[in-house]
Amino acid sequence: MSEDKKMINEKNTEFIDNSEITDEQINKLKEENTDLKDKWQRALADYQNLERRTQTEISQRVSEKTNNLLLNFLNIYEDFLRAENSLSKEKIDTSGIIAVIKNMENILAENNIKPIEAVGEIFDPQLHEALSMVEDSTLDDGTITQEVSKGYISGKAILKPSKVIVSKKKN
Amino acid sequence: MAEKIIGIDLGTRNSAAAVMQGGKPTLIPAAEGTTAAGKAFPSVVAMDKDGNLIVGSPAERQAVTNPENTIREAKRKMGTDSLFKMQGKDYKPQQISAFILQKIKRDAEAFTGDTINKAVITVPAYFDDNQRQATKDAGTIAGLDVVRIINEPTAASLAFGIDKAKEDMKILVFDLGGGTLDVTIMEMGGGVFEVMSTSGDTQLGGADMDAAITNYVIDEFRKQEGIDLSSDPQAKERVREGSEKAKIELSSVMETEVNLPFIAQDSSGAKNLQVKLTRAKIDDLVGSIVQRCKPSIEKALEDAKLSPSDITKVVLVGGPTRMPIVKKFVSDTVGKEAESGVDPMEAVAFGAAVQAGIIAGDVTSDVVLLDVTPLTLGIETLGGVREPIIERNTTIPTSKDKTFTTAADSQTAVTINVVQGERPMVADNVSLGSFNLTEIPPAPRGVPQINVKFDIDANGILNVTAKDMGTGKDAKITIQSTTKMSDDEIKKMQEDAENFAEEDKKKKEAVDIKNEAESFVYTTEKLVNQDLKDKIPQEKGIQITDAIKELKDVLSQDAEQIKPKLEALKTLVNEVTTELYKNASPPPGEQQSGEQQSGEQQSGEQQSYANEEQSDSNSEKKSENTSN
Repeated sequence: MSEDKKMINEKNTEFIDNSEITDEQINKLKEENTDLKDKWQRALADYQNLERRTQTEISQRVSEKTNNLLLNFLNIYEDFLRAENSLSKEKIDTSGIIAVIKNMENILAENNIKPIEAVGEIFDPQLHEALSMVEDSTLDDGTITQEVSKGYISGKAILKPSKVIVSKKKN
Repeated sequence: MAEKIIGIDLGTRNSAAAVMQGGKPTLIPAAEGTTAAGKAFPSVVAMDKDGNLIVGSPAERQAVTNPENTIREAKRKMGTDSLFKMQGKDYKPQQISAFILQKIKRDAEAFTGDTINKAVITVPAYFDDNQRQATKDAGTIAGLDVVRIINEPTAASLAFGIDKAKEDMKILVFDLGGGTLDVTIMEMGGGVFEVMSTSGDTQLGGADMDAAITNYVIDEFRKQEGIDLSSDPQAKERVREGSEKAKIELSSVMETEVNLPFIAQDSSGAKNLQVKLTRAKIDDLVGSIVQRCKPSIEKALEDAKLSPSDITKVVLVGGPTRMPIVKKFVSDTVGKEAESGVDPMEAVAFGAAVQAGIIAGDVTSDVVLLDVTPLTLGIETLGGVREPIIERNTTIPTSKDKTFTTAADSQTAVTINVVQGERPMVADNVSLGSFNLTEIPPAPRGVPQINVKFDIDANGILNVTAKDMGTGKDAKITIQSTTKMSDDEIKKMQEDAENFAEEDKKKKEAVDIKNEAESFVYTTEKLVNQDLKDKIPQEKGIQITDAIKELKDVLSQDAEQIKPKLEALKTLVNEVTTELYKNASPPPGEQQSGEQQSGEQQSGEQQSYANEEQSDSNSEKKSENTSN
């Protein structure tokens, strides 16, 4: 084994001598080799990172699209709530509309969409957006007195913050 | 690994950041999710009564409840001695900016998974040294080494790739944001940008336009129903959201409707708001606001001592510039269409990321710029149909292979004709070269498996190898340049492919149906004369033979003639085989499914037929399975 190795080394030496490769050239090739190895490893790493990122991006895009669709759906859902509210005030039978609303609420529940609690809660900028303040000394500072537009959460993410009016004590 | 540097658009109203990924700028999403401003977030900082710092959208949302501890537009005070107060404590403008930068740093780290220590930050072109130094200090406070401060209009130009142009040019950057207008004229030569003049209006922006549209909708409803919605916060909010949606829609359609059912109620019952909005109406509503931009453009031109015709490029920045009326106003005023291809809301952050990429070496030296194949590469198959192997725009180096088979019984050689182009018929593409694979052992058509492998190395050199899987014998060709054509020629070929798509489809269909017919004739003849010779009733046998003859007679004609004859033959054969299976004793279930599987496998592997080297004409060849 060691003899074989030696032989190869001798051969190589001969070869190098013949072709007059200088140390400078060897160093240059070594440098190039290191550089190429680095680039190759980076390309591999880039690829693996890309694979991971692509996966995340796909799920992000899907949830972005779904959320947009759900937001549009929520507008219609709210229109139905308004319709029911308005018609029942006029003493019109709304049982059909109530059934539709229930079906819509089932879809929301299946997609883990929940309305954000607002009226009576203490204002939280992570969930609510304050549009204005009203003076009311009977309530704790920052209590939500009116919900101007409903907000929704999907899992832990805010789909749409609720827009609210918040109380403050009289000075 | 080079350290990642992010690019930051630290704006007066909104901020955004981007980073180079795979050679392209990507916007870093805000952790709290996207808002109306896209992935950007409001440049708002606040502190609640417990001393918690709130930055971005949540800070904006709580502003009315906590105005004395909410800070907006700190950028306007950069480089001055002004102080902001939050919960009784003083903060310098650069400290407030640092809070915004810290949030960006956190978001960027979450997004990239790397620690971020360096950034390029953009500033308005009119910022003086003091203001620039203050911006740099804000970075330092936030734990970011600001490796470069660049002008916002320069960043926008970089995002559009204007720096790559060889000739010198004069660029007008029109930046209309939510609340401010900045017009900058720059001179660019050899990749260096120099500001010639700046102008603007700090009280002009998209917010005014939104308000004008919302007010119009409220007025219309008042005219229709006599009800004032502006006093009902819930209704007003719905109108605002509906108007915003309509405005966005009207950038792509000419007409839309704000439709808000049950918006109000009076003694006569529920009221629905239905207001039609056309693009012309929107233009009418915001026209006067847009016209207010004119003096700023004129002033910038005057200060630069230029006339509109001296401007070479126009770059639009900011959300409102997405509106057709704004685009038209700028192109009419300057007499030139604006650059397109980058979202004007993201352009500055993208440009900052490009600059960051150049500094990090991501953009030029460190990343190996990989080429792509400009045109599809494939081989010729039966009937002059091109079978693609490597599709256009595939990044090289790459290698792909497909298995083919022979088109005739006892065929002993195949010709591999390597073609390049987008059209389905070989004759309409360019042949790069061809070679023969010989000494294929004689076998029935469809039996030999010939694997054809295309391998392109990083220099674009294409090696094509054809290997007979049965004997292991192979033959190959090396094509030095797969891009023998100039860019113009490549473009022409791509255009041709689009123009001729319909015609080509018909041609290919014609060949496909002919191949299918020939193949069916071949199998049916074999069935009738050999495999099922004694099992088919004589009467049916004659019918089939006649149908085969009829089909053969029309083979040289159009697809329209071939189709009905082929269908007729298929129906006949189906009848016979159905009858046969009915009469046969049922085979064991397992065996049956096994056979089906192997059949599917075959059709999947053997995609098409290599062109036959023998001299007999196509019409005499008999093929099988081409319908797959």
